[in-house]
Amino acid sequence: MTHKLTQGDHVLKVDTLARVEGEGAMHIVVHDGLVADVELRIFEPPRFFEAFLRGRAWTEPPDITARICGICPVAYQMSSCLAIEDACGVTVPEELRLLRRLLYCGEWIESHSLHIFLLHAPDFLGYPGAIEMAVDHGAVVQQGLRLKKAGNALMTLIGGRAIHPVNVRVGGFYRLPTLQELRDFRPTLVRARDDAVETVRLVSGFSFPDLVQPQEYVALRSPHGYPLEGGSVISSAGRAFEVGDFGSHVVEEHVARSNALHARLDGATSYVVGPLARYTLNHDQLGPLAREVAHDAGLGDECRNPFQSIVVRAVELVHATDEALAIIDAWDGASAPSVEVLPRAGIGHGATEAPRGLLYHRYELAEDGTILDATIVPPTSQNQPSIEADLRAFVQARLDLPHDELVRQCEQAIRNYDPCISCATHFLDLTMEEQ
Amino acid sequence: MTRPPIVIGIGNPDRGDDAVGVEVARQVAAERLDVLALEFDDPSEALDAWEPEDTVVLTDAISSGGEPGDIHVVDVAEQKLPAGHWSAAGTHAFGLAAIVELARSLDLMPRRLVVVGVEARQFDHGAPMSEAVQAAVPAAAEAVFTVIDAVKGQP
Repeated sequence: MTHKLTQGDHVLKVDTLARVEGEGAMHIVVHDGLVADVELRIFEPPRFFEAFLRGRAWTEPPDITARICGICPVAYQMSSCLAIEDACGVTVPEELRLLRRLLYCGEWIESHSLHIFLLHAPDFLGYPGAIEMAVDHGAVVQQGLRLKKAGNALMTLIGGRAIHPVNVRVGGFYRLPTLQELRDFRPTLVRARDDAVETVRLVSGFSFPDLVQPQEYVALRSPHGYPLEGGSVISSAGRAFEVGDFGSHVVEEHVARSNALHARLDGATSYVVGPLARYTLNHDQLGPLAREVAHDAGLGDECRNPFQSIVVRAVELVHATDEALAIIDAWDGASAPSVEVLPRAGIGHGATEAPRGLLYHRYELAEDGTILDATIVPPTSQNQPSIEADLRAFVQARLDLPHDELVRQCEQAIRNYDPCISCATHFLDLTMEEQ
Repeated sequence: MTRPPIVIGIGNPDRGDDAVGVEVARQVAAERLDVLALEFDDPSEALDAWEPEDTVVLTDAISSGGEPGDIHVVDVAEQKLPAGHWSAAGTHAFGLAAIVELARSLDLMPRRLVVVGVEARQFDHGAPMSEAVQAAVPAAAEAVFTVIDAVKGQP
């Protein structure tokens, strides 16, 4: 198909947008050569996780909310643990915080390598998918699979298994890894770190369409380094607030076309969470190796082209593998796998940096620990208004492109966000309509 | 020494009928000592499990619109798996069909690769397998034995 959107009235539809996590739909309306509307539609019924957490025990959210996503279960476990512990007035000891960070590194490695190599790289190398790309770039795909496997193995080592880890509990873990187990894992991580450095070199050589994201960036900022397992909230516009105040700054609103809530900052501003926001607000906290490869890749103090998110993810892969090694090398055991978390009446908040961006949980507990209310704000629902804004600007500048190429580039633009729509939805169809 | 045939059960044991792939592999392991049985909840891990000379049987839940408990045997060397029907509850982005095709693209296919799928109905978190699917486990294990024994008779 070669006709263009500027060549008369027609409705253009693509059935399935592949290579995103989950399912959803994008509908773009072009009126007299101008992009009139861009909507991200979410079809899946609300997932009721918040509803069926009510009435459950304070110990259950890590296991229940991990089920929201098979790609980022650790993020759900970590944010829920922090929130429950906050409600109960408990802070886990330093060694358990480090072990959480190590587990989280595993999830970042697994999730980022899946997205970089199997979902996003085919866009840049001109293939419909990883299967076709593997024919010509077998070594690249194998490198990605090796990295993904290392991430899975780290999650299995600390979390008990790679998908929906079973070793996480409120207050810490059920079992500690042995020193020997951690040391035995070193060679796998060293190889993964080498692969990650190679990955930065590979993806920084891709061609990136021009697009500058004007939105405010929001990420956690932590005294413990590049943000992962906790911190407070900061933004590129100078906002700074504690996670406990998240609910008073971020307002979620129902949008008629979508079952997912759309988040707005202080009621009006759409904003972006995820790798670009983390990098822009925290690049000074990257480890020396990650900083070096970021510099070599041409990244400056901020990165506002969402197409370059693949480079930032690769830099974060370097950071995650490097930091995991540092945690293992410094590990000299913990006195106990967990601390006791006794219930009490109260409200707790927790936020961590899922691979796709900031993930917020809030729980209200009764005196006996029964959950009275739960709120979960996943990264993709925070990014939705910005995905729409990106697409609006992006499509407007490319209406002369042949239909298939325009659709392909739009899909690529959506994949920039690595939308884990499964956390709130399923399937992404792309529909373009000219009026 | 010849490597034993490998049976890989794929699926999440805690998600209703998605457990069937793992259950079939466990049944095979219980009955036959000459088989290497493995379990993965992420199909992409299966790629590293075999060598080029191996005979591999993948067991998984399938959701293709048939009756729960129906058994499908697909010789993957002969035909592609229909996309979208496999590993319904596994990693959403890269299911069994994608992994098999990725192995084909990477020239990582083993000598023989057969998929034994059991039609599933429900993938509820924490639910047991439905009766019809549970009842199909012995027959699916038999299907695995048939594949393995047919290969054994070959040079």
